[in-house]
Amino acid sequence: MNRINFERFFETEKQKIFGTDFFADAEDYEAWDEIDFESQEDIPGEQTFEVKAEDLKYYAAGVLDDNPFMTDEEYARNSPYGGLIPHPVFLTQITFWCIGVKGRGNWIRTPGARNPGQEVEIYEPFRVGEIIHIKMRPHDRWIKRKKYYLNYKIDFYNQDNVKKACWIVELVLPKSKEDIRKFIKGIRGVEV
Amino acid sequence: MEKLTFDSLQVGDALPSISHTVKQETFWKYAVGSFDYNPVHCDPDWVSTAQPFGIPQTVAHGMMTWSFMVTVATNWAYPSTATITKITSKFLRPVPAGTTMTCSGIVSEKHVIRPGKHFVVVELKAENQDGDLLGVSQAEIVFPE
Repeated sequence: MNRINFERFFETEKQKIFGTDFFADAEDYEAWDEIDFESQEDIPGEQTFEVKAEDLKYYAAGVLDDNPFMTDEEYARNSPYGGLIPHPVFLTQITFWCIGVKGRGNWIRTPGARNPGQEVEIYEPFRVGEIIHIKMRPHDRWIKRKKYYLNYKIDFYNQDNVKKACWIVELVLPKSKEDIRKFIKGIRGVEV
Repeated sequence: MEKLTFDSLQVGDALPSISHTVKQETFWKYAVGSFDYNPVHCDPDWVSTAQPFGIPQTVAHGMMTWSFMVTVATNWAYPSTATITKITSKFLRPVPAGTTMTCSGIVSEKHVIRPGKHFVVVELKAENQDGDLLGVSQAEIVFPE
């Protein structure tokens, strides 16, 4: 169903293998009314994320940011930071990569979801060469003004289990799988 | 550029603003950079009927709007080797292609904790070409002493 050719934008290794069709596996996305809040055990992501310079540089380019601390390896190496540092919202890229398609938390891919606002704590900037993994758990779910809110708490760790960041990731979602199906068909008027 | 320190900053200090006019091309490139290929940002045909935001147009990723706002803070703080430790956001209006976003910021709080832990809070906002508020953000930033 994906009608857009994104290949002309691809520059990094990850971009070439990450699926761009968010409709394709939507039947497997967790719906708002399906989230299991009984277990509070940490849920791992589907895969780890190796931080490469190209990842940091492309994220900066994607937000039209030419800050040399994020984009110029030599400049950053010779600065007090000692190397590239990411744009603070770079963890978006890590999150979509790590959650993947089939795993828990895949509701962040839901067509028609709306972003009401976010909260991120950064303990250390992600650095080139780190292998990041995530642990997440359902955090809250509520209804407000007929809208269905959901958030997960996602913790980001490097290969030495040093906690790098925490994101309370929150969206307004279609309530049920049936609503998601209507959205995918492009039906207007689904309550989100 | 003058190095900023915690002591040199005052509540009310204004940060240099930035402006971007966003297009569908901007949304596609951000999708590739974030791996967020949600059709509400990327698929004009689908949005024309589904209209999750009640308008028949794609809209910018909230995370892109947020990134623009946070860039105001990083442009200002990173040259002084500052560290951003917390960021929050609220998105108030959808941002369709063609919007010119202006993002600005102001120092709103100074938190005096202990050396190495002092931080300032910066209030950030994004407005469109008509002055409508699109989103707001806060950043907590630790500056060198």
